[in-house]
Amino acid sequence: MSKDNTRPFLGFGLGLRTEHYQYVIEYKPQVDWFEILSENYMVPGGKPLANLDKIRTNYPMVMHGVSMSIGSTDPLNTRYLKDLKTLIERVEPFWYSDHLCWTHAHNINSHDLLPLPYNETTIQHLVSRINQVQEFIGRPMLIENLSSYVTYNDSEMSEWQFLNEIARRSGCFILLDINNIFVSAHNHQFNPKDYIHGIDKKHVMQFHLAGHSQQDEMLIDTHDHSVCDPVWDLYRYALSRFGAVSTMIERDDNIPSFIELREELSIAEKIASDVLSPEQLIISGKPVLKSAA
Amino acid sequence: MSDLQKLQHGFIDYLVGSETDIARHIQPNSALSAKERLNIYAYAYKARLKEAITTDYEILHSYLGDEQFEQLLQHYISKHPSQETNLRYYSTKMASFLRTEVPFNNLPILSEIAQIEAAFTNSFDAKDVEPTTLKQLSSLPPAAWENLKFIFHPAVQILTLEFNSFETWKALTDEKQPPTSKQFNSPNAWLLWRDIELITHYRPLPASEHAALKLALQEESFPTICESLLEYFSEDEVPIKAISYLQVWVHEGFITTLNIS
Repeated sequence: MSKDNTRPFLGFGLGLRTEHYQYVIEYKPQVDWFEILSENYMVPGGKPLANLDKIRTNYPMVMHGVSMSIGSTDPLNTRYLKDLKTLIERVEPFWYSDHLCWTHAHNINSHDLLPLPYNETTIQHLVSRINQVQEFIGRPMLIENLSSYVTYNDSEMSEWQFLNEIARRSGCFILLDINNIFVSAHNHQFNPKDYIHGIDKKHVMQFHLAGHSQQDEMLIDTHDHSVCDPVWDLYRYALSRFGAVSTMIERDDNIPSFIELREELSIAEKIASDVLSPEQLIISGKPVLKSAA
Repeated sequence: MSDLQKLQHGFIDYLVGSETDIARHIQPNSALSAKERLNIYAYAYKARLKEAITTDYEILHSYLGDEQFEQLLQHYISKHPSQETNLRYYSTKMASFLRTEVPFNNLPILSEIAQIEAAFTNSFDAKDVEPTTLKQLSSLPPAAWENLKFIFHPAVQILTLEFNSFETWKALTDEKQPPTSKQFNSPNAWLLWRDIELITHYRPLPASEHAALKLALQEESFPTICESLLEYFSEDEVPIKAISYLQVWVHEGFITTLNIS
């Protein structure tokens, strides 16, 4: 670990998807780690968990959720948190993350990552809930920035100021989605480099990369394309600002073969090796692999 | 109610198509009005729910065809705003919805096909529980049989079907022409279970085994199960039949606990 990189660096990972289970189990392809979607394994048992256990014996993992609804004004879902904690105990991930959003209100779930107004009241609300989650789980969480399509009249600050303040007050870390910054910058007409420049370095723990689509005048975070060149450029810029940050590619639709996705990840590796020194890219803090049950 | 709570309730109301003034909280931009920006989320809400249902009811979709399945999606989503945290469970009310809602209740086979598909999904991710062994069964002391009860693996399910829906499901699964819908004189029972390789199996259940298994699943005692078999077999045959059923259930991994308390 270099002097300027105090965060653990896991290297370069991919989102684990059901389409690739058999390939990963059979061929054990080289990838530094996998990110799993927590909810896919928050089921009683059967194949999802059996496949997860098999793959976990060969790869470090981090967990990424979409349903915590940390920004909701409904009470925190204790059943969800218990199930999440059980899964964390099973997987022993390096860390777990969810989004800077809300997903449900008055008992209806949107199953979407809905944005929040960026103001002091929302900060206080989020910090209180993140603290409750971190206390319940027993370790800090990572919060990811969204792609968003609306701007609230009640917002009083930039998203990066909002995110910094939440991380500072709650002690959570930031999962910085480079594609989401690009998408939101287009949709809300700000400079994506201002976002990256505005984020406090010490809170950043992971990067996401993904593809998006254009729908009329808006960009939509669809995860159904490969990462586009402007997002690679922004990734390059983010590396130069933050140093080595564990990076992964998310793909949720129009999913290509594992080999194709692995090749795309090698672009991230190449950019990182262009921007950073070999010393900065030494994998550190690698979690111990789990032995087979 | 806080301003944030009001805003979130208004947003959700917009997604499900209820009256709301949420648009006044949203800034328009040079290309889109506030409502057009909100519509991106409203569209995504329905699209996600439709995708979840379509994934869970592939055969129902084949049976109905695209147009009628789309009608079903619209009706179900309108009737059931999602209250589930995990999308996996969003469409679990489909069989009861089809049984009760006009016009779908005019075709009772639809509900049965949905019931079959839901049973396979339930089996797929049912809890893992270690099955009881034949050795454990054979080592029970004689007195234990007087009040012996059984707990079954959660993947074990009985489907009682009034129509030829299983045959229809099978034909569509094999991408063959389904038979004409037909109601049986008396319901047919099918059994689903999951083996130790986590593969789901199914077979028809004869009436006598159905009667015994139904009681066993309800945690009735072994003597009660034997008594139910008197309807199908002579007094001499019943103990042999009951034991043979039990051996099959244990051998196939259906039973997870022999309860002798």
